[in-house]
Amino acid sequence: MIPFQPEKVIVERGSELSTIFRNLRRNLPQVPFEFVEDLSTPSESGSTLSDPFGVAKRKLYLTKHKGEFLKKCPGSAGQVCCNYFVINFASNCPMDCSYCYLQEYLADNQAFKVFSNVGDLIDEADRTLKKHRGVFFRIGTGEITDSLALEPYTGTVGEMIPYFAEQPNVLLELKTKSDCVESLLNLDPKGRIVVAWSMNPQSVIDWDEHGTASFGERLNAARRCQDAGYRLGFHFDPIIEYPGWETDYQAMIEEIFSTIDWRRLAWLSLGVLRNTPGLKRTMRERFPKTRLLTGEQVLCPDGKFRYFHPLRVAMYRKMIHWIRRPAPTVKIYLCMESREVWQQVFGFAPACEKELGNQMAPGGDS
Amino acid sequence: MSETEIRNYTIARGFQPRTLERWLSWEPADRDALAELAQNLKIGENHLRDLMDWLEEISLRDRLRIHDLLRSKAIAHIETDPRLGRTDKLKRIKEQVRRLRFPRLAETEDAIRNEIQALKLASEIRLSVPPGLEEGSLRVEFKATSHDQLKRMVTQLNDAAQKDSVREIFELLAGRRTTRKQS
Repeated sequence: MIPFQPEKVIVERGSELSTIFRNLRRNLPQVPFEFVEDLSTPSESGSTLSDPFGVAKRKLYLTKHKGEFLKKCPGSAGQVCCNYFVINFASNCPMDCSYCYLQEYLADNQAFKVFSNVGDLIDEADRTLKKHRGVFFRIGTGEITDSLALEPYTGTVGEMIPYFAEQPNVLLELKTKSDCVESLLNLDPKGRIVVAWSMNPQSVIDWDEHGTASFGERLNAARRCQDAGYRLGFHFDPIIEYPGWETDYQAMIEEIFSTIDWRRLAWLSLGVLRNTPGLKRTMRERFPKTRLLTGEQVLCPDGKFRYFHPLRVAMYRKMIHWIRRPAPTVKIYLCMESREVWQQVFGFAPACEKELGNQMAPGGDS
Repeated sequence: MSETEIRNYTIARGFQPRTLERWLSWEPADRDALAELAQNLKIGENHLRDLMDWLEEISLRDRLRIHDLLRSKAIAHIETDPRLGRTDKLKRIKEQVRRLRFPRLAETEDAIRNEIQALKLASEIRLSVPPGLEEGSLRVEFKATSHDQLKRMVTQLNDAAQKDSVREIFELLAGRRTTRKQS
């Protein structure tokens, strides 16, 4: 994995007393720090740069998050939802996957921001979790950043784990394409923290997951986390279809299940490559040679391109067959798919989002 | 067509600057081949953008040159067919390029169409699948003007449902049976 080395860290007044600031100072000793009163317009949008999104990743802004930290995952219109919540402790990501939806989602606010007020984040989560003790929450931190890629520099997750590990009605999922798990290994997750990897065969990583950890590095990090008592998750998402994909994905699945104990997996998810017309346009500009542009994708009712229905149903069925051989009862769900696809892949579709969310709870039906 | 003529073409039709920029970024031979087609068929921006997307993607995937694709026999045949009007020519050329861009989807659609035809249903009964086969469902429509006709159609549909052709359609829609190119 390529170590993160921003050109500059820009600190908004008020954040210089935070733990995150101290961690950044200590862990990025060669990087210049600049202090400003106000970061109200740090965006590169409207810039005349040829690749403002790529450029934005090279400057790190440390600021207080002013809005709510805990939000419901928006899902995708008309698709089966898994009742997931998200906490955003940063915005943007040091990695640069060619399919990354942030290229479009953050187009108007591309600045790479890390939020310094982790205490406020924990206070807010505490209020919600205590108010709804009867509700089980799956919360992820990897919606608009990688959960762990910044951890060696910011230590944000290390601040969060001790709190979430004590809560009876939550699973906190840390979703990553990195191998930055060192600081997690001495903490006790108490069964409440899931470390999850987005997995793809090495050939896909080489072509389209720029700056991420290799498949071997991710798997090794997963094994170390499992040995340290963490529950694991794997997200086979996006699954890419190309000549020979079956051989690569089958080999990848075999290697994963020969390395980790599947009985201690929290869940697996599957999702095929999807992009919007706008994202496709950006991909064409930023990664004109990527073969992700050449799959047989059609526009679905929710405005996203996916491999045409029979093709992707067949892909899901193959993936599940390869997974079920070594791991017959592992929990598997589909990400952003229609009821029709669920029905044809599994023979059922969840009646509502709560049903699927509850299945993911510890002890929930698989 | 020169660069200036392409510029004038896009300005006259109110194309977005991004479309012009993309067009001009093509290799001159590719750029000119598309310009020739656009001018002959008076192609509007949305159709042109679809063609650009598909042609670029075919070229990237199959390592073919765009001007070779546009000057292929199949497209030249449609373009010069005196029986077709401009709109029909564009429609057929787009379909031809779409089939090249989505060969397995096109083959699955053909296979389903063939299975539907093999059922030889009355003209009042219509079986169809959604564009792009999304939702993986078969739509069944029929209309009747009398009780007897309705009974006849229900019987015919019931008979058709027992046939292998219908089973094949659902197998194709659910990705359980692959066509030659998919296997």
